[in-house]
Amino acid sequence: MRLVSGSGGLSRRTLLKAGSAAAGMGALGALGGLARPALASSVAATITFAYFGDPKQATSMRESLLPLVKKVDQNADLKVVGYNGTDWNDFFAKILTQIAAGAPPDIVGVATEGVQLMAGKDLAVPLDDYVKRDMAELKEMFADVDPILIEGLMYDGHLFELPVNFNAGNMFYSTKLFKQAGLDRPADNWTMDDFQSYAKKIAAIPDVNAFDWIVRLWGSWTCFMYANGGNLLEEQRFDGGQWLWDAAYPGNASVKSRKGGWKWGAPTANSAPTVEALQLMIDLRKQGLAPSPDVGGGGTLQGLFASNRIGMTIGGGFWAGGLHNAGMTPDSFDVQYFPKWKEQKHLFGVVGNAILKSSKNQDLAWEVVKQLSAADAFDLQFPGNATTPVRRSLMTPERYKTTGPEHWSVFYDTLTKFENTTPIPAPPYYNALANALNRRTTEAIASGDAKSALDGLQKDLEAASKT
Amino acid sequence: MRGEALFGYLMILPALVIVMLFTAGPIVASIGLSFYQWDVISPPSFAGLSNYEQLLSDQTVLHSFWVTLGLAVSIVVLEILVGLGLALLVQQRRSNVARGTFRTIFYLPLLASASSVAIVMGYMFDQKFGVINYYLGLLGIPNIPWLTSDFGATATIVIIAVWQQVGFAFVLFIAALSSVPKDVLEAAQIDGAGPLRTFFAVKLPMISPTVLFISVVGMIGAMQLFDQPYVMTKGGPGYTTTTTVLLIYQTAFQNLQFGYGSAISVMLLVVLIGLTALQFLGARKLVFYQ
Repeated sequence: MRLVSGSGGLSRRTLLKAGSAAAGMGALGALGGLARPALASSVAATITFAYFGDPKQATSMRESLLPLVKKVDQNADLKVVGYNGTDWNDFFAKILTQIAAGAPPDIVGVATEGVQLMAGKDLAVPLDDYVKRDMAELKEMFADVDPILIEGLMYDGHLFELPVNFNAGNMFYSTKLFKQAGLDRPADNWTMDDFQSYAKKIAAIPDVNAFDWIVRLWGSWTCFMYANGGNLLEEQRFDGGQWLWDAAYPGNASVKSRKGGWKWGAPTANSAPTVEALQLMIDLRKQGLAPSPDVGGGGTLQGLFASNRIGMTIGGGFWAGGLHNAGMTPDSFDVQYFPKWKEQKHLFGVVGNAILKSSKNQDLAWEVVKQLSAADAFDLQFPGNATTPVRRSLMTPERYKTTGPEHWSVFYDTLTKFENTTPIPAPPYYNALANALNRRTTEAIASGDAKSALDGLQKDLEAASKT
Repeated sequence: MRGEALFGYLMILPALVIVMLFTAGPIVASIGLSFYQWDVISPPSFAGLSNYEQLLSDQTVLHSFWVTLGLAVSIVVLEILVGLGLALLVQQRRSNVARGTFRTIFYLPLLASASSVAIVMGYMFDQKFGVINYYLGLLGIPNIPWLTSDFGATATIVIIAVWQQVGFAFVLFIAALSSVPKDVLEAAQIDGAGPLRTFFAVKLPMISPTVLFISVVGMIGAMQLFDQPYVMTKGGPGYTTTTTVLLIYQTAFQNLQFGYGSAISVMLLVVLIGLTALQFLGARKLVFYQ
């Protein structure tokens, strides 16, 4: 049933579709995005799409997305399944269990956390052949998406997902508490000293935590680690990927440094800058500038921030919708780049859709994946600024008019303004890494000894990387 | 007679099939899987005893057994003490309405799902906005990091497990205390035994089989503690509240080491059998059977 096989062979259906697509090229421009003329397959197929989120939203999401599926195949149906959890590792555990149980989805929404897990375990289909074949159609999307996001979805020179949304670790702050503390918006190039000075002033307000954070890989003390020039794993790049950069970004100078995806090397969890970063978090707590952090996804943190009990915290574009839903007005909070320590280096995670190798309808799944990355599909999937679109064209004042923040452009500019913005270190053994990181971070906070905890993390990661 | 026996076997057949399918089957499968390496996705490869060799030198696994044992002993001892104390207090109530009301109140937590309770309790014990710290704050006590300090996390898990499970011990103790023969109690009274002496010399020996039952069942349950640490602490801080079952879940379902996870679960089974045997051995001297 596959249109593009591993060896690149084309089926009869491929040719039929290609022919139909070619015939309809004239209409593509008018349709915009990644639209294709609807085809009617002889066999009704159902595509199962799994996402990380509230299962209760599955029905409404299906209703929103079904027309997109019908666009590519009038006889096709869509099943949407949501899996919730504290963090991505919970989601991946459930997806892997589904695969083991013989009931895998066709398409999975996977963040950076799981890209290499899926690719490394040979669970996801490399999209290279599909992308090469449909490059003319996809160029519009690539032109709209910064290459750093595309590289974040590559592994060993292959592209495994088409991107949909991303979030970079920025600093959110309460404008109300800043005003109360007599503080102005920090400068774009503010420093770690500035951050601590701000925190001390906010801490003077009764019943307010100057800064708060959560224990996880994305947007945790790991932001401080990046800003201090550290990482949990050696930063390397896979060779390859030129096939994509040359075809998708011709003449774009910014792709010269891009390769075949991030390769996470030997553990460096107890390196000096990493220890120093975690020790700073312990010291912030000791100084009364931050409380003990919770482990998990950040819902509680968002609630506390929305009730003006936190002055500053790390968040991404998804916070805009979350804070708005929690009752914050657009002018009651704002966002700034993460402060500079040794460098002003940011982390980010990107989410795309992968096709599982076990899918019996890979060709149709690919068509649906393309639809899910179309500009007009973003708000169907993530209404109300629940995350940041990967497409620049969707980053408009109009989008953030209702939710805020005022300086929404920080979200995307984090990718383009800083050359050193790097994805979170998520190797194929991400689940083990996440568990170990959470454990050792809470151990450090409880014991007050960052070095000892990170020595433990180093051993954990060395063991996990061998499995 | 033969037909009668056949009918008997037929009657127990459905139960036998269910037990074989859903209890014995998975146990045997786990034992078998513990000799393999399997990541769910690739075919399993035979690993001999390597999972067990790894297990015996894995400090994380051994630590989890000690953590679980410490939590289980604390929970079971407190369950017995609190359950018995409540049963004695309720039994003294003369009003049937009061007795019925208290029985219902103390038994109710047992009916709630452990995960739901853990979620709610997680909010209540939260350092930053939990009601527990709020009320302690009114008394001038500073915020306690219930879930983020070693002692706090351990204590919180024990408190919640005891709060939820104590109803089970309480109901059994109520029944056991009611079945203590009145003539024996009257004889003790006539001999001049006070309430304390009556309790330790008469009631406690008479209800000792119930104590044994609660400690055995409670220990088996507490050694499989999962929901509370999974929901509230994720096993932290560090490995302070990483119970063996939580470690099995993370090893198998998150780290995809199903063979190794199975080996740990087999080890847990062996430990549980050993602990239960020890309890029965101790019971020979301590439990009084009429």
